[in-house]
Amino acid sequence: MGNIEELVDSLAADAKPVKPAPHPVALSLGWAAAAAVYLGLSLWLSGLRPDLAEKLQEPWFAAEMVSLVFLFAATALSAAVLAFPDLHQMRKAAWAPAGLFAAFLGILFIAWRADVPPAPLPVHSFECTASITLFALLPAAWTFFSMRRFASTHYRWAGSVALLSAFSVGALWLRLHELNDSVVHVVLWHYVPMLGAGLVGWWLGKRVLRW
Amino acid sequence: MAEQGDNLEALMGQALAGDKHAYADLLRETSRFLRPFLTKHLSAGSEVDDLLQEILISIHKARHTYDGKRPYKPWAYAIAKFRLQDHLRTHYADPLRQTVELSEVENNLPEAVTESDLTYESISGEIEKLPPKQAAILRMLHQEGYTAKEAAERLGMKESAVKVAAHRAYKILRKILER
Repeated sequence: MGNIEELVDSLAADAKPVKPAPHPVALSLGWAAAAAVYLGLSLWLSGLRPDLAEKLQEPWFAAEMVSLVFLFAATALSAAVLAFPDLHQMRKAAWAPAGLFAAFLGILFIAWRADVPPAPLPVHSFECTASITLFALLPAAWTFFSMRRFASTHYRWAGSVALLSAFSVGALWLRLHELNDSVVHVVLWHYVPMLGAGLVGWWLGKRVLRW
Repeated sequence: MAEQGDNLEALMGQALAGDKHAYADLLRETSRFLRPFLTKHLSAGSEVDDLLQEILISIHKARHTYDGKRPYKPWAYAIAKFRLQDHLRTHYADPLRQTVELSEVENNLPEAVTESDLTYESISGEIEKLPPKQAAILRMLHQEGYTAKEAAERLGMKESAVKVAAHRAYKILRKILER
């Protein structure tokens, strides 16, 4: 008990005014704003797909884009909540991406069923995964850097969701840039690798976010 | 000590504003309500004290993640659980948690063997028959009085490797002496 008293006294002596961390919603909005700027700049540099206006008239493409945006928003909010030791007492928000993933998978399934006759596969394959990965590096870095300032008690989960969030921005960029209608290609080379990103984030979270 | 009417959220709010007395009260209150929680999960009192200190330091480091607007206890318990899990994970991952010390070997030996007081010197012949590294480690730990850390530094090994080697040596010795 004596040691505890000494420790309390020394910690109290060290107590300077501290600025509380921003609310997770504000934090995730900050990340979303940064991602929007990054996405806008990237699309301005790389160019939009020429048939984008036409494609947005197609219900399943539009639904895919909207659900990707929501998926990004949900993963960003979840990552922000997971950066707090007590999940900011918003446990449901931490689980928000799960429902959106299910909806996203449902939309992709319906889009695949509606792709009759199937659109031809493009000649490239892994290049899309590589492009998304490269694009996601910057948002992933700033999200992890930002999360390190907090105190996650779920660092693996937080790392996984943070990387999924960054990859969803990358996936959105490529869908808005690449002229490609094959749902099979998109699932295989755009979205399935995102699951790998989630696993890498799980591993990375332990190394980067542990405190 | 915080008075009855004191509210942990308010204390933390004052602590975040730099009030040292409020912060000391808060940490004392926190250790008071966390101690029974830790005692439930840990057997040794010293372990409880060590972990409690670690938790208080973690609370100190993470205090900026609390804004004074949500309940304080769930926040503090989240950190306590996190550190407890870390502690238990390390504890169960440690291959030496069931290490048998030389003194224990001595205590557990049959009467006939322990009739004469068992010391390093009395079994030095057996120790010298051990692999050279194990023998050297036991000599350093039990004859020359080095700690495992010091022995590791002198032998250019990791402390955990020294402990593992010593543990293996104890097991071999126990078998030899029980014959």
